[in-house]
Amino acid sequence: MSSLSDIRVLDFGSEMSSYAGKLYADLGADVIHIESPEGDPLRYSGPFYKDKPGRENSLKFLYHNTSKRGIVLDITKQEGKEVFLKLIKTADILIESFPPGYLDELGLSYAYLRKENPRLVHTAITPFGQEGPYCQWKASDLTIMALGGFLYMAGEDDEKPAWAYGEQAYMAGSMYGAVGTIIALYEAERTGEGQFVDVSMQACVATGLENALQYWDLEKTIRRSSSTTEAGYGVYPCKDGYVYIVQMGDNVYLWVPVPKWLREEGVKGSEIISQKEWESTRFRRDAESKRVFREIFESFTMKHDKKFLFEEGQRRGISIAPIFDSKDVYEDPHLNYRQFFKTLFHEVLGGEVCYPGEPYLMEKIPWQIKPAPAFGQHTREILEEIGYSKEQIETLNERGVIYV
Amino acid sequence: MYKHALTGIRVTDFSWVGAGPLTTRFLAECGAEVIKIETHKRPEITRMAPPFKDKEKGIERSGYFSNRNPNKKSISINMNHSRSREVVVPLIEKSDVVINSFSAGQMEKWGLGYEDLKKVKPDIIYIDMPPWGNVGPYIKYKAFGALINSVTGFNYLSGNTDGFPVGTGTNYTDHIPVPTHLAFAIVAALRHRRKTGEGQYIEMPQMQAGIAVTSAVALMDYAANGRIQSRMGCRHPSFAPHGAYKVKGDRKWIAIAVFNNQEWVSLKECMGNPRWAEDQKFATDEGRLANRDELDAQLEKWSSEQDGEELMFDLQKMGVRSGLVYNAKEVIVDIQLQSRGFFVYLDHPEVGITLYTGSPVRMSKTPPGIRKHAPLLGQNTFEVLKNILQLDEVAITELQNEGVLE
Repeated sequence: MSSLSDIRVLDFGSEMSSYAGKLYADLGADVIHIESPEGDPLRYSGPFYKDKPGRENSLKFLYHNTSKRGIVLDITKQEGKEVFLKLIKTADILIESFPPGYLDELGLSYAYLRKENPRLVHTAITPFGQEGPYCQWKASDLTIMALGGFLYMAGEDDEKPAWAYGEQAYMAGSMYGAVGTIIALYEAERTGEGQFVDVSMQACVATGLENALQYWDLEKTIRRSSSTTEAGYGVYPCKDGYVYIVQMGDNVYLWVPVPKWLREEGVKGSEIISQKEWESTRFRRDAESKRVFREIFESFTMKHDKKFLFEEGQRRGISIAPIFDSKDVYEDPHLNYRQFFKTLFHEVLGGEVCYPGEPYLMEKIPWQIKPAPAFGQHTREILEEIGYSKEQIETLNERGVIYV
Repeated sequence: MYKHALTGIRVTDFSWVGAGPLTTRFLAECGAEVIKIETHKRPEITRMAPPFKDKEKGIERSGYFSNRNPNKKSISINMNHSRSREVVVPLIEKSDVVINSFSAGQMEKWGLGYEDLKKVKPDIIYIDMPPWGNVGPYIKYKAFGALINSVTGFNYLSGNTDGFPVGTGTNYTDHIPVPTHLAFAIVAALRHRRKTGEGQYIEMPQMQAGIAVTSAVALMDYAANGRIQSRMGCRHPSFAPHGAYKVKGDRKWIAIAVFNNQEWVSLKECMGNPRWAEDQKFATDEGRLANRDELDAQLEKWSSEQDGEELMFDLQKMGVRSGLVYNAKEVIVDIQLQSRGFFVYLDHPEVGITLYTGSPVRMSKTPPGIRKHAPLLGQNTFEVLKNILQLDEVAITELQNEGVLE
């Protein structure tokens, strides 16, 4: 059995990039989350455990920082820089999301850090990347989603677009950052030479446009959401919520079971949609077809709940699923059969916190989570590991360079 | 010596459509040799799906397919032919990674499950990526990315407040969450193999990776606080203004996000400090949040008279977080993405020069790159059989005549 336990990651966290470090930490790497004395802003971001705001209570912070150790260190102070440089010598990876140029101004540029540690992989995850006309622009998840073309997709016709839940521009940057970093690490372990990994969230988001860029390039068409482009595709309301159905091109095997189901249920109008012409995508995309189908199908779905439509539809070979809310997901029998949710006891909170589980299951590298670090929880331990004495640690603490 | 970080890694790729091909795309960008197993008998779905060059249907004309498969090779094999194993098994013996995205049990039917392949190639890294995982009540169910978005809670959480839970309008989990997680796991497994000599099995339950990325915090909120979060358009739970506001033109909006008083003051200044904005009820974070209906309406009344591009540059000059809601065409001509060389144009024998997205990750020493157009179906069959499997022309012709290479 092995894990990533021989890797050390220095992780400046933040709402933009913490998830990258989490991928390493949950596979066993020693990820040290470095916070300034003001604390990671994510700590003050809701929702909070038991709805009580507090530095240790942010569910978002807890989720994005599982399995990490935590140190509070002011790298803008000279003595803080010295601590940081000692840590850099022990590290394989540095992940940060500072505005481009910030570390250079502190005298901690990659060019300098690599002299201290040539095998270091330095990864910067920023809204627009390190260079270019927007690199110093002010951004948020929403504005990056907008400039990456992602936001535009989430709506139909003239409808205002909707923001995807969960800050997906930050997440996309973090995920791509984690991948680029491990590839650079794989290379560094072979050659002894690290490199700089520059991730642009805007570009990350632009990889998630499905086929919209090609629609413009090849057909000169601008597309938006696919969710109601075709009869039998997308969201339909039912008795207790909504279901989603998928058709894929002219694959009749996905379509044919739909009218068959309605016929067998004696739904009024089912004979209309059973006609041959409905088997073609082109026909189903016609506005009148969409209207007719919706009327007939909804007269059926509105009589049934999403669980029935899911199970019975799937039994009939239809690609259909319920639109679950958080309670549905939490209680879902499939996920619970798989023991997906994990519960950890948090001493500082005096209670148990429930977490989503494994994104993948690897035979030889176990995935496991531990609680995120409390503010400054491992400062002393880590400074001792790199050779600071008790007295030195006290002095640094008094001067506000660290927090223990 | 090595030009790319994954030079020398060979992937036998049975995967189709979305998440699988996008995973192996990353590996191919970094120099891995990815060999797609395809067949003329049943070309993969995205080859048959629009957009097509000049709207003309054809298995070599789809941009849906091409942008997911640059840098790769394609060999054509009829897997249902009894002699297909004579090609596939030796290829896997010379591969490092095998990936498929079939429903559970298909690879086993061909005798190509992990337990089978471990015998011929003990250190193989083997990936199954069933949407629901290998065990559990739903494993026989069908799924596409759009359905994964539905069952993870992501769709419910994404959409306009009074509208349908439409999510992102795409098969999102296929595009970023699943392929990035899987690529990460594969490289971790390659590293493990280099350290220990061992291969391994990876189960990639797409629903679980989807949750990890999209709805995770909402689920924790339900478990801890009993709250069922819901969709709220472009609004932020704690700050206002935060939204997409109309600007001049059809389907044109600008995204603006204000997270503190300083940013509010800057935005007011951009608007010329109108009287309505001076009202004390908008002077604090709490006040703006409590009065956001009015705030959004006033802001939009102003923005809808503005030219979007000029407004974005003006707002940025004042340090206000903002960005135009670009459509695909505007993304392609965006000066920032162009300055990164994000778009790549490659020449293809049938459709000519078309657009590919590059890697959003720049690496200073071993840059990922898009170098070769998506393969024609079966383009590399002969070359792979000859050079990798070292079959002579007689043997290849015989396989061809028998219909193995259809």
